[in-house]
Amino acid sequence: MTPIVDFRGVGKRFQGVVALADVTFQLLAGECHAICGENGAGKSTLMKILSGVITEHEGEIRVRGEPCRFQGTRDAESAGIAIIHQELNLVEQLSAAANIFLGRELRTPLGLLDDAAMEREAAGLLAALDCQLDPRLPAGSLRVGDQQLLEIAKALSLQSDVLIMDEPTSALTEAEVARLYRVIARLRERGVTILYISHKMDEVFRLADRITVLRDGRHVRTAERSATTPKEITGWMVGREIAGQEFHQARPRSRRLLEVRGLTLPWPDHPRGYRLKEIDLDLNAGEVLGIAGLMGAGRTELLEVLFGAAGTGWTGEIRLEGEPVRFAHPSEACAARIAMVTEDRKRLGLFPDLDVAGNVGIASLGRAASGGLVSRSREEALVSPVIRETGVKAAGPQASIMGLSGGNQQKCIIARWLLTEPRLLLLDDPTRGIDVGAKAELYALIDRLCRGGMGVILTSSELPELLTLADRILVLAEGKLTAEFSRGEATEAAIMEAAMAC
Amino acid sequence: MTSQPSASRGWRLPRHEMALLAALVLVFVGTGWLDPNHTYFAKWAESRDIILRNTSLLGIIALGAAVVIIAGGIDLSAGSMVAFSGTTCGLLLTLFADAGDKRLESVGAVGIAAAIGGAMLSGLLVGTLHTWLITAIRLPPFVATLATLVGLRSFARAMCLFVTRERWGSENQQINIGTPFFVWLKEHNVWISTATFLGLAFLTWLILSRTVLGRHLYALGGNEQAARLSGIRTENVKWFAYCFGSLTAAIAGIFLMADSSVAQPGNAARGYELNAIAAAVVGGCSLQGGVGTVTGTVLGSLFLRVVIDAVSKLIKASADVYEGMIVGIIVALAVTLTQFGGLSRTGRALFAGARGLAAIPTIAIFAGLLAMMGAANVDAFRGRTGLLGAAVGAAVLLLLAAFRRLQERPVR
Repeated sequence: MTPIVDFRGVGKRFQGVVALADVTFQLLAGECHAICGENGAGKSTLMKILSGVITEHEGEIRVRGEPCRFQGTRDAESAGIAIIHQELNLVEQLSAAANIFLGRELRTPLGLLDDAAMEREAAGLLAALDCQLDPRLPAGSLRVGDQQLLEIAKALSLQSDVLIMDEPTSALTEAEVARLYRVIARLRERGVTILYISHKMDEVFRLADRITVLRDGRHVRTAERSATTPKEITGWMVGREIAGQEFHQARPRSRRLLEVRGLTLPWPDHPRGYRLKEIDLDLNAGEVLGIAGLMGAGRTELLEVLFGAAGTGWTGEIRLEGEPVRFAHPSEACAARIAMVTEDRKRLGLFPDLDVAGNVGIASLGRAASGGLVSRSREEALVSPVIRETGVKAAGPQASIMGLSGGNQQKCIIARWLLTEPRLLLLDDPTRGIDVGAKAELYALIDRLCRGGMGVILTSSELPELLTLADRILVLAEGKLTAEFSRGEATEAAIMEAAMAC
Repeated sequence: MTSQPSASRGWRLPRHEMALLAALVLVFVGTGWLDPNHTYFAKWAESRDIILRNTSLLGIIALGAAVVIIAGGIDLSAGSMVAFSGTTCGLLLTLFADAGDKRLESVGAVGIAAAIGGAMLSGLLVGTLHTWLITAIRLPPFVATLATLVGLRSFARAMCLFVTRERWGSENQQINIGTPFFVWLKEHNVWISTATFLGLAFLTWLILSRTVLGRHLYALGGNEQAARLSGIRTENVKWFAYCFGSLTAAIAGIFLMADSSVAQPGNAARGYELNAIAAAVVGGCSLQGGVGTVTGTVLGSLFLRVVIDAVSKLIKASADVYEGMIVGIIVALAVTLTQFGGLSRTGRALFAGARGLAAIPTIAIFAGLLAMMGAANVDAFRGRTGLLGAAVGAAVLLLLAAFRRLQERPVR
């Protein structure tokens, strides 16, 4: 077989942060090639480069031997490369046929839309995929599995012979997964090359001819499926040294702070039916509890329920220092002295139009007020100590928050919550997108807070971080608890295995 | 009332306000110089009163619009709210007047207080209705307030017919206000409405920049999800914003009713909501939310009214015809100028491609027609207006074409 796509030293940096470095491997015509890696390993970046979403990158990509520089997805499409994104890309109000032909609509000799022809062709394409659906139905009314086939049909109508599938089964029912496997088999009969991104080992080993593992943006290895095992692949995915200090020793352990029993959060209109199922957990004051899990495993949802940000649709029991609680709004959780540092800083944390003092003081502004009026000097006096404590490096309280580095923005948000004097601190992937130095400072801060008697629940997409900080680690997979490790038992490989156990 | 420092990006807003002030001075000087009748000097007191009265009416509504916009919403219903509040006030007066008194001259202090209180209460009711539609039904603010924009006016008219029929036995489309208090208010309207405007501006400034609630308004407009996750009761903050928006419109409604001596639900204050939003935007409020100041809004209202007044002095034809055009041009210019730094830095081509090519004659045609209509009001151009219009249109065409050529040249 000849290489159809040849990655040669492909790399990508985002504002100095290396997302992908010197990736070199080949895709053979007609094969099904799986790409494996942890969150943040660079899988998505590589696929975005190949499909023309990212146009600037290092290195070279050759398609059928020709060097290519895609200036957009159209270029990639005309080179026969199509991508089925995890987040499907359909105009929900338009019909299935209209979506397939979006941007290159068929027309009658008069220049009017030729809906009949488009519907006919769409029906043909869908039938070839073993999919019996009416091409006149609006795309939004279809099930996720059908929508996905619609995207595949669109790719086929573009004469694509390289198809990238980004975790295609993440939202499918078992029956839909089985159908997808049949579709993939048909595509391979037609000679389509498939690049299959997944971290589910059973899928990878069922479908792929060869497997490439990425880790921290680098190419680890490409192996024949027959020559490797799931265990070996998992080992390659996580196999890095555990860096840095360990903080968990000899922290004083005291009273029970939080008890959760049978927590279930339903997920209507989703085949799984629940975001979280039957979660039990305990947390003592002065303890760091780590929550591990892949993206979509329910880590954020768990913290949101505890913080009252997920509504009251959940069932089960939450006790805070013995008292049963049921928060309907984050403000109630704040009043009970719970704080949450959200995962997506920009979208859920920062106020771009407020300065540093405004961002830090927003959750406890009442303390800077006297007689209902907030004075600027009292506000600065309120936030200054905590800004110092968290080590925010900014020109002053009036500095613009958007001018700070990611690490300093994150410290501001942690400072915001420390001001509320919480007894339970929820940290949702707090070191995402911040540099190594700031990470070390945050670790030291978390350790200090814990020694002061605060309870901390920490999620992270980086296992070494959990191993460094946490006293105990719970593992979530698809909304269920699959393992609990004490500090001594936890290893990256064991956690990874539990995170993919579903 | 200096620029509002803590909740802003620091340098941008003061600069914006300085620019507005400079533009204001420029318009004053220009009008004083160009006006053939020298109205500013000859009729100083009258010019001052007209500008003050119009500015405070617009400004009171604009303060409410600014608060809603800063909180990340929009209130399209202000004009109808003005009419609704005036009608409520007038109808309450009829209830407190003697049975046969259609001039409402017999209303006493209690009736007047009830009428004013009732009108202001009507604002709070409408604001609460908006908040409910937006937070519980989850209507987009644009849709919720569009519904009340259309609905409130009609509701006020129906209410007017109903009350006058019940009270006087004959249906009236409007109610004449002869109550001595409101006649006195009309006579002293300029100073009372100006004082109310400035008082409200001070109150708004205090709330926005010196209270927890104010900070929460900026936070809500800047990032609603982050505000909720910071433990802010965002629904309650919205409740305040929409009530404040409707309350200011209700207060303006009382002044407008007194000023015109009539409660007239059909036609009063049509289009005021858009002028108020325009004043807030000219004053530096961002329709994305989270950005804006009281100082800017006050200056924006003043600037709009001064320019409208200046045009009415320069063009003797009925100025209200030109009002919408002036507001439109000023809004487009003000927002363009605040983005100008970005425009020149990125070097974005303003007239690229076929769209750009079509835009050049479009702008030229509008400019030529405008020049022609404007020239018709100036004696010196009598009989040559067509020629002048064509000349201006051609000049604009050539200028923009040259500009396009210039921008097309490869940079670097």
